[in-house]
Amino acid sequence: MIEVSKDYDLPFGPAHPGSGNFSVKLKVNGENVTGAKSDPGYLHRGFEKLMESRTPMQNAVLSDRICVLEPLAWNLAHAEAVDELTGTVIPERAKYIRVIMAELSRIQSHIIWYGAMSMGTGFDTGFKLAFGYRDYILDIFESVTGGRVYPAGYICPGGVRRDLPDRARERILKVLDKVDRMKMLEKLENPALLSRMKGIGVLKLKDAVRLGATGPVLRASGMKTDVRLDDPYEVYDQFDFDVPIMNEGDSYSRYVIGIREIEQSMKIVRQALNELPGGKVREPSLKPELAAKIPKGEVYIRNEIARGEAGVYMVGDGTGSPYRCKIRGPSFLHMIPVLEHLLVGSQIADVPAIYWSLNPCPADMDR
Amino acid sequence: MSTNISGKEMAGKIRRKFSADVRVQKERRIWVETTKAKLPSLCKHVKGLGFDHLSAISVTDILKEGKYVIAYHLWSYDDKMALTIKTKISRKDPVIDSVGTIWGKNAQIHERESHELFGVKFTGNPDLSELFLENWKGPPPFRRDFDWKAYVRKEHYDKENEREKVYWEEEA
Repeated sequence: MIEVSKDYDLPFGPAHPGSGNFSVKLKVNGENVTGAKSDPGYLHRGFEKLMESRTPMQNAVLSDRICVLEPLAWNLAHAEAVDELTGTVIPERAKYIRVIMAELSRIQSHIIWYGAMSMGTGFDTGFKLAFGYRDYILDIFESVTGGRVYPAGYICPGGVRRDLPDRARERILKVLDKVDRMKMLEKLENPALLSRMKGIGVLKLKDAVRLGATGPVLRASGMKTDVRLDDPYEVYDQFDFDVPIMNEGDSYSRYVIGIREIEQSMKIVRQALNELPGGKVREPSLKPELAAKIPKGEVYIRNEIARGEAGVYMVGDGTGSPYRCKIRGPSFLHMIPVLEHLLVGSQIADVPAIYWSLNPCPADMDR
Repeated sequence: MSTNISGKEMAGKIRRKFSADVRVQKERRIWVETTKAKLPSLCKHVKGLGFDHLSAISVTDILKEGKYVIAYHLWSYDDKMALTIKTKISRKDPVIDSVGTIWGKNAQIHERESHELFGVKFTGNPDLSELFLENWKGPPPFRRDFDWKAYVRKEHYDKENEREKVYWEEEA
């Protein structure tokens, strides 16, 4: 009989159907994962460097590409950094539109998250349904920004590029009703999905903080924190919403957090639509003025995006481009230290359930 | 939203212990400037004050002064405020102590990125291997004086290729 070694290397990605442009090199003994090393860089485009030679309006378009799954959220973080440096006061209406778009973006991102988790655990129906429902939100994005996925810098320094189209309110409310229906899926409590996620990939609160987890991943481990609540930006302090938390820290609780956050985001969108004030949507309204110089100074912007905490550190030096723009993507921490920590000691079959429960986006990791 | 302590009080606490330059930019934003030598003890001190979350480490290349500014962006979950610690180091010999022992693995990954993109050496960090780049032989690419166009032309310009010729020769 031939002696066969039980130890081998197993690359998960970058050509795995469920990994995205990212790879994690596993060391495996039989079915057990004994080591994991993340290998990012497949999507490294050097946005931080590119932004140093472009104007803020060009950078607004560039900021779309930081994350494929939620470009509007990154638009917002970038625009806030420029606004704070230039001292621009944003019209009230623009602030509300920014919140509405950012929350719709969170909803569709969480729907993808649900779909990807279903796919990763072999529940293909969930995947197809999720992507179907996400398309209703993309329809809204198309009518508001002109792009289904990439809004081309819709949320730009000074406000937003244009006002909401006619009947936007009715259309958005209609789509929210449809998303409500999608949430019925969760009530089905699919046994295949549950058996693959309960008790899998447990992240303790202490480890979560030490490894830099933020957003839903941290909240699923029992920390009540949300940048929208703790460090409010735009008009989030005027809305009534909850921050769902779970204490187990396993894949299943992260999944539940995702579904509950969709509900809360819908609540915010409905409130914002009801209180939407009139007026201008951009300040100053003329383009050449917007190309004005970024004054000397520095800011650190924190935003709560679907994946966790987004950070933009911008330094101005009085020229037309930022001197330095550091972008902090939540997946950078979730996919390197957190993922490596969770995978060691797990089983090969659980890798996708852990991987997708972290809501990864290789694009915001590599930037 | 309950904040136990105001930004000014927190700034006072840090200022009293370290004669550092502490500035309150606005509610929930504090900036501290310190020296390379005082950095480790200051970091330990603010960790003790509740700044548990290291949001990011950023490097800014100040070409004019020949310095790198290393900034540590922190957040306190208890007091709900952000603190940025900045320190200047020489650009020629960019060495600084790692804060991995204070904020753990999270900090080490940020340091690994800064090492790759700016060439800053973090003493005490066990893993400064390449992260995004693969087999990179040029200078650290995010330095202000790194001319990516000249680098690509030198390393990757295929003179046999007519299409590339149009791009590179017209540029010159």
